[in-house]
Amino acid sequence: MQPYQEEYIANLREIAVLTAHRKPEENTFDEYEEHLRENRKKADALVKRNMELLRDELFPLLDHLFAADQAQLAGLYKFAGELLNAKEELDTGLFCQIHRALLSLARSKQDRSSMIRELYWLGIGMNSLCRMLAGLELSESGRFLSQMRLCFTEAAAYLKYFDEIDDTETRGYILRSRANMALGQFSRAGTKISLVKQTLEILQDQEYQQKEPALPWERFIYMTHQQMAASMSYSREDAMTAQEIEAVMESVYIVCERQIQEAARNHQFPPPRPVFYYFAVEYFCGMDSLDSLLTKIESLMDKADRQSTSGDSMYSMISLPAFYFQFLQQYPERIPEREEYIGELCQQIITYIISFPEKERNKSFFFSLRQLLYTFLETADGMTYREFLKKMMEVFAPEIYVNALVVGKAAAFFSAAIIAEEPDFFDDIAQIREITDSDKKRREILEFAEGCGLLHDVGKLSFMNLYSGTSRQWFEEEYEMAHLHTSVGGRLLKQRSSTSRYAAAALGHHFWYDGSRGYPEYYRRLEYPERQMTDIIGLVDWLENVTNTARLFVGVEKTFDEAVQEAIALEGKRFSPILTSWLKDVKFAGRLKQIFAEERQNAYRRFYENNHNQVKI
Amino acid sequence: MPGQKDTGQKVSDMENRDSREFKGYLITETDKEGKKRILYADDRACEMTGLSVEILLMSDPVKVTGSLETESVALNDDHELWVLNRAGSRRQKMAELERMNAALEDALKAAEAANEAKSSFLSNMSHDIRTPMNAIMGMTSIAISHIDEKVRVQDCLKKIQSASSHLMGLVNDVLDMSRIESGRMTLNEEVFSLADLVHDISVITSPQASRKKQDFSIEIGQILRENLIGDVLHLRQILVNIIGNAVKYTGENGKICVCFTQLEKDPFEERESGPDTVWLDFSCEDNGIGMSPEFLERIFDPFEREENTTASRIEGTGLGMAIVKSLLERMGGRVQVTSREGEGSRFTVQIPFSVAPVHESMALPVGETVLASGLPDEVAVQCGAWLKEEGMKPVFLKTGLETVTWLTEAQYENRMPCALLLGQEFAEMPVLELAAHVSQLAGRDFPVLLVSGEDWAQKEYRAKRAGVSAFVPCPLFKSRLLGILGEMTVKKQERSHEDVRKSRDYSRYHVMLVEDNELNQEIATELLSLTGVQVETAGDGARAVELFEASPEGHFDLIFMDIQMPVMDGYEAAKRIRAMQREDAGRVWIVAMTANAFVEDIRRSREAGMNEHFSKPVDPERLNEILYRRLN
Repeated sequence: MQPYQEEYIANLREIAVLTAHRKPEENTFDEYEEHLRENRKKADALVKRNMELLRDELFPLLDHLFAADQAQLAGLYKFAGELLNAKEELDTGLFCQIHRALLSLARSKQDRSSMIRELYWLGIGMNSLCRMLAGLELSESGRFLSQMRLCFTEAAAYLKYFDEIDDTETRGYILRSRANMALGQFSRAGTKISLVKQTLEILQDQEYQQKEPALPWERFIYMTHQQMAASMSYSREDAMTAQEIEAVMESVYIVCERQIQEAARNHQFPPPRPVFYYFAVEYFCGMDSLDSLLTKIESLMDKADRQSTSGDSMYSMISLPAFYFQFLQQYPERIPEREEYIGELCQQIITYIISFPEKERNKSFFFSLRQLLYTFLETADGMTYREFLKKMMEVFAPEIYVNALVVGKAAAFFSAAIIAEEPDFFDDIAQIREITDSDKKRREILEFAEGCGLLHDVGKLSFMNLYSGTSRQWFEEEYEMAHLHTSVGGRLLKQRSSTSRYAAAALGHHFWYDGSRGYPEYYRRLEYPERQMTDIIGLVDWLENVTNTARLFVGVEKTFDEAVQEAIALEGKRFSPILTSWLKDVKFAGRLKQIFAEERQNAYRRFYENNHNQVKI
Repeated sequence: MPGQKDTGQKVSDMENRDSREFKGYLITETDKEGKKRILYADDRACEMTGLSVEILLMSDPVKVTGSLETESVALNDDHELWVLNRAGSRRQKMAELERMNAALEDALKAAEAANEAKSSFLSNMSHDIRTPMNAIMGMTSIAISHIDEKVRVQDCLKKIQSASSHLMGLVNDVLDMSRIESGRMTLNEEVFSLADLVHDISVITSPQASRKKQDFSIEIGQILRENLIGDVLHLRQILVNIIGNAVKYTGENGKICVCFTQLEKDPFEERESGPDTVWLDFSCEDNGIGMSPEFLERIFDPFEREENTTASRIEGTGLGMAIVKSLLERMGGRVQVTSREGEGSRFTVQIPFSVAPVHESMALPVGETVLASGLPDEVAVQCGAWLKEEGMKPVFLKTGLETVTWLTEAQYENRMPCALLLGQEFAEMPVLELAAHVSQLAGRDFPVLLVSGEDWAQKEYRAKRAGVSAFVPCPLFKSRLLGILGEMTVKKQERSHEDVRKSRDYSRYHVMLVEDNELNQEIATELLSLTGVQVETAGDGARAVELFEASPEGHFDLIFMDIQMPVMDGYEAAKRIRAMQREDAGRVWIVAMTANAFVEDIRRSREAGMNEHFSKPVDPERLNEILYRRLN
């Protein structure tokens, strides 16, 4: 690798440490705040340096890729490999950018082997990006999934010319691409299963194996069975045909059998994943009841080693509860008898994930967290989803959490000013309209404003790599993907009773007041009684972003006064004229500016106090 | 009184003279069955009956003399002499007068009825206008008195909006009706394409049906001639009105089926059809609320609306169907309707149109393969038949993954199809993502035609950006499909071979290439020169500014601007060019050509005045696409 590439990677790692908001080791809040300020300054400098490295070193190389020599190309290839690999996901966006450029070069040179290789790696990069979209509707994630799948499909199409291709590596890429065509979500289980089935037929074909004995066929076949086994969750009701179920079951047995046998040879307990697969297969085949399956999952979760950070423990402590909750959400009549257990389980999960050592947090850990984020089950006596989300933000996305607290406080200040002049400003919301006592109504509104502020960006938890993990500005593709945080947030909040009233704020806070721009496109402002509060959140969040955080992602940074002037200029377009008219009041704007500064400090203080006395991991 | 007498005598003389002058004679014979026939008729009898003697001899004497006074004298048992007397037509005159009186009475009644209709019309009109006006005035008052209650005001505004749009519809309909009835409405005779008309109708009506989750389909039957002559605006009004009613009076998840077909002759054989005439046969069937038999009789009368609880909640002026009928009558057509209450309705319309002359036969990629993917089954069948008829080889695929696999193999084996027809029936991916990948795989010159019933104007920008070359509107028409296919393939080939210099003769265009790297400059110059364009190069931003400044106004048509360059970068150079006080400084198209792909970079290049962003390394297809788009 070139020195600049090594420097870039070292900076990435350091930025991750600096922005992680480690639990305070300092004695006083002032020291802690100073430490944060220092870290932020250092991180900003490193981000700046990384941008310089890309602009001065990498981009000129991509600019002149036609002139690049073999050594430069090989270095580039290696650099990309460091950015994303099986262990780490340092900078997937840049990984894709590099492989896209290499693919263009290969296409223009009509270099078949390079084309196949680059299609494969670009597909891998896209797949990594698509993992952030798990849980979204296909209509929203479909375009990213398609880009990934089309890359693998094009590379896999060269299977027809397997005989003509004489290098093992390219042949391996073709076969792996063929298997990867089935990655990600499909609208129908059958499509995915049929793709995996075809891949298995190809891989098990002796003719292919004899042509290229150097390839790890057995591993390929086993991994494809794993892929098929992962389709098991589709096996509900009428989603699959008998043949499809049979294919999935066969793969499940192959995968599980091997792992259980291995464990027996080593005199160990079988790992929880294949055991769960076994239990689930029995349920899906109709050989076991749902209650029995739930009890078996409970026993697996109970056996988990809560002090361990191994993959198996992580699976038992995070993924299994996510599946367990998913079953219960589908069959809510099973919840009441398990309320107490669920409450305790939630506490255990939270304790486990917040004490999970930072250094050990890898791709699998965050993937499991995302699963839990989507299926978390709130019960009447247990932890609410709102509390869970708050904890998640605080621990894993502290900067988003601080921003959310500040936005909530600023929204409450704004709301208080408005209702002082117009008490029924928020009366579109039935719950608020029905409150007759004016003090109670005011309290309810301010609480609602803080809640909307706190939860408006929870969708970003699905895109932590883009937000918390960023160490440079976004590329256009990442920018578009980041837009989906509103849809994700809206969907997550809408499904739980403790958070459903905040869904509109999460969904609509980036949508323009006049409906001409913004996202998501399907948001219809007038259909939401919470629209006035959403307008407020949209404005204060924008003020907070352009003065504080957007510089990292899109290179925009304004002073508070500049931001206020720009907001006024966007009156009636991006922002509600009712709100911008308040900003024109110099006194009000000045106080709002003060609120932003104070509340940021308060948020850090809260963060400090909440964490200061916690047991160190 | 002599005068009186004289006068009386004269009258009597006249009568006597008349009597003589107006007598005719017939001799008749009665057969055994009592049936009479004429054996003889004199000239006067012929004159008085208005029939020739030959005809009279074959006629029934009773029938032919029915309007005359006759006296008969028996000649023997079987024969009679009939004296035909017009003098007795006084009675007939009386009868005529009575008839005239009756006619006058009828006319009076009709006038009274018309007057009553006019009053009823005005009364209905007043009611129909007053109702929404009341709503508007009432709601405005309520809104004013509750101005601080946002929810109330909003509710009032919504109602005012709805009432005023209803009122506007009413006024438009009345004006149309009045124009038709006063004869002020003229029909235009212009050539129109049935394909365009059907697509327009689909674009207008489908969204309304889709909002009600209705199963809305348009079927195309036998089409004899696609280019017709007639008043397309009024035709569209008729058809949209009928379909709009079907959508309006059919509930959620209901079904509406529209069918267009053509006939050579009047299906009812009531009217003559010349060789240059075809009959458009349109039908619209729904499973909506239907109509009562009583209403069905009055459906084409102005201001008639079905009075039932479901329909009365639906707003309408009640003039739509009257306008449809009147317009159709003016166009020489007809409309029929059958309906059962609660089950649905079926409207059929037949209109004659002159066919437009055919100009030239289309050039088609005969013998070549056309790949089609993601088309609905029925469209694929129809499309396959047309392509085969014209000597092309269609290949149909279902999924996006199959399409990419097929094209990759075809490209590798040098057997690329001449075009790809892309439908929208891809369950697993958005069609534009597939188009974008195909255009990467096969190059931007490869024609990708999007077959869609959607409004192209809404989709054009994104579709073109994704690499879609053209749009084939649905419902599919043969001439439209083949025309676009021919345009995109044969003409493209012609251009890419012999006529390339003409159609892509860019030799009169001047392009500035600003690039500091020599090899990049060489590659890009080479690629650009292949198109004939005149390339002038600048090694840095400052040189580019000098070159532009020194050039005559309008000299440069396009500037490809690298960003990172020594001396002066691309942003600065673009800014300086834009700031020059010359007419072309603001409009010359500047393309940022760089690998800097951050959101901020794209924004910065836009802020610097550049028009678009082009990622490096230089992709020849993309370069050609920009030239083609900007210079053609």
